[in-house]
Amino acid sequence: MRSSSMFSYNLSLAMQSFKRAPTLYFLIMLTLSIGVGVLCANLALVNSMASDPIPEKSNKLIHISMNTWPGDQPPDEPMHILRYRDAMKIAESGIPKRSAVFYASGVYARDSESTSMKRFDSAVRATTPGFFELTNAPFAYGSAFEKSRGMEVVIGDELNQKIFAGVNSVGKTLELDGELLTIVGVLKPWILRPLFYHATEGRAFNLTDDIYAPLETAIDLGWSIHARSSSADNYAGVEETRDKNAYYLQAWVELDNVNQRSAMQSYLDSYSQELKDAGEHPLTTRNELHNVSEWLTAKKVVDQKVLAFTLASVLFLSVCIFNASSLLLSRFHAAKFEVGLRRAIGASNRHMLIQGLTESALLGLFTGLVALVLSWLFLKLSVQFLPRLANIAVLEPKLLVLGMLLALVTSIASALYPLYRANRYTISAELK
Amino acid sequence: MLKMNNISRIYQSDTIQTHALRDFSLNVKAGEFVAVTGPSGSGKSTFLNVAGLLDNFDRGQYELDGVSVQGLKDDELSRLRNEKIGFIFQNYNLIPDYSIFDNVDMPLRYRGFSASERKRRVEEALEKVGLTSRFKYLPSQLSGGQQQRVAIARALAGEPKILLADEPTGNLDSLMARQVMEILHDLNKGGATIIMVTHDPDQAREVNRNVQVIDGQLADFKVYAPLDRSAETKGKTISAAVNEEMADA
Repeated sequence: MRSSSMFSYNLSLAMQSFKRAPTLYFLIMLTLSIGVGVLCANLALVNSMASDPIPEKSNKLIHISMNTWPGDQPPDEPMHILRYRDAMKIAESGIPKRSAVFYASGVYARDSESTSMKRFDSAVRATTPGFFELTNAPFAYGSAFEKSRGMEVVIGDELNQKIFAGVNSVGKTLELDGELLTIVGVLKPWILRPLFYHATEGRAFNLTDDIYAPLETAIDLGWSIHARSSSADNYAGVEETRDKNAYYLQAWVELDNVNQRSAMQSYLDSYSQELKDAGEHPLTTRNELHNVSEWLTAKKVVDQKVLAFTLASVLFLSVCIFNASSLLLSRFHAAKFEVGLRRAIGASNRHMLIQGLTESALLGLFTGLVALVLSWLFLKLSVQFLPRLANIAVLEPKLLVLGMLLALVTSIASALYPLYRANRYTISAELK
Repeated sequence: MLKMNNISRIYQSDTIQTHALRDFSLNVKAGEFVAVTGPSGSGKSTFLNVAGLLDNFDRGQYELDGVSVQGLKDDELSRLRNEKIGFIFQNYNLIPDYSIFDNVDMPLRYRGFSASERKRRVEEALEKVGLTSRFKYLPSQLSGGQQQRVAIARALAGEPKILLADEPTGNLDSLMARQVMEILHDLNKGGATIIMVTHDPDQAREVNRNVQVIDGQLADFKVYAPLDRSAETKGKTISAAVNEEMADA
């Protein structure tokens, strides 16, 4: 009862203090808000870049890189793209719980029943069916296709919105580059940040795909490769690549447990050795397995410039705290008489400290709100200058909470020295 | 009520050591109205600050209402100030943007009283100084005398054991000063112990006892009370008076 009464009294004193020097407190709030806002905006970028997109099983999802290049000029590192037969060997190994072999493509899509001839440029993931369970793709309607061959597709929410206004489109037919494929599943809005299954070629922050098509069908239809590929052989179209030394498929496996990783490694190494023994490549066996986190780190998904700028933001915030502290010091100096009076009539140093901290906390709350608005503006501004940040310049709820906490901490931190000074004088000196 | 024995207060700067109080001893009994006089810089205010626990002292013993204040922590000193002492300052020291009610209410907030108890005490205190109808006024809407009466009400609201007044009429014209002094005398008649620092010899003569401070010490002076001067006290020196008080204590 007593403490709640003191708390409300301290809150009212804080409000009175703000009213007495609104310009000064506005400056303090603005100073801290800019510091917190800039840092928060940077943390939002780092958070998007560094977060685990699939935390429930990221350590069991393994990306496979191999070196089976048969040519004279082998790459320095194992390649993250595989040729068809190597990828199929992985899928058929029987070791992982499930696997996904895919490549990125693109088609123009329209509703086959529509009278409009408008087509939508759509990103395609040509994949084996295991992709959906492996990535925990969320279905709104229908389900995944069950085989790697068939005139069926799964579409993403955005395309479903564009073509079918978001209604259940399962059973409808899409015309994709002149071919008719039936929709068997529609995904919910699906954000993978980073897009771990395709973190290469600067695509780590792309949106998830519009269309997911069976791998064999996409190859049969000759849907071109829209990502990095390398080939030691000539071929006219992707449909000819199955038995060529054409490297364009990425392979992920999901293990039952992390212990299976060594079994997978042995299997791949043994396979590579067989190829080498058969004279198919001259390279030292070197196959690499990376879980999601290792893969994102290896691909340097977190932009070092953003990290450096975040560090600079921390320093900038320190300067803001220092400035706010100076302003508060002048404010507390001006309020010296009242501090002295309150202490004279019975307030202890502890009372005055709590009163000061309450004021700082309230200021921190206001600062937090302004900082989050500024942070949002900074992110919008960043996207204007650097459009590639569009998909990662997002203030997630945890960032909002962090922003508020940062504002509270910085506000209190900036008040600590002024409070310490204010309570050091003898009361008689304060009253003079 | 207040016992000071050989209190010294020394202010130290880089090069100068100033003895604001030097072996200062004083005993004030409950119900006394003591005037402390002396020239500027003599140590009157330092005495009042030490007595009111607003300043530390370097040597000596000080007992307030039976509590030895040496070695008390800040929280304990604050509680003593809040519960046992009422301050009346020359400049009133009211918070200008607080209402009269809020100014008087201030010390009660730190005592942890309920809202209803605080309201009762504030109303009673303002009634004692004749300002019951001005709860919502701001200090700037009152005359100097009225502001000082608010300050007295603030000092009284906590029902302290002792009132310490630092030149309470120093900023007032003679009429208002008279009103304030009458309130203080009424309070004293009601049993309040009051120590008042003043420059005004007439005011000093009105009270039970006059103590003169010179160079941080009690001066060797004659104790007199013009309104009721008795043969018993007439002509006594301060040393004799102090010795007698100590013996009484």
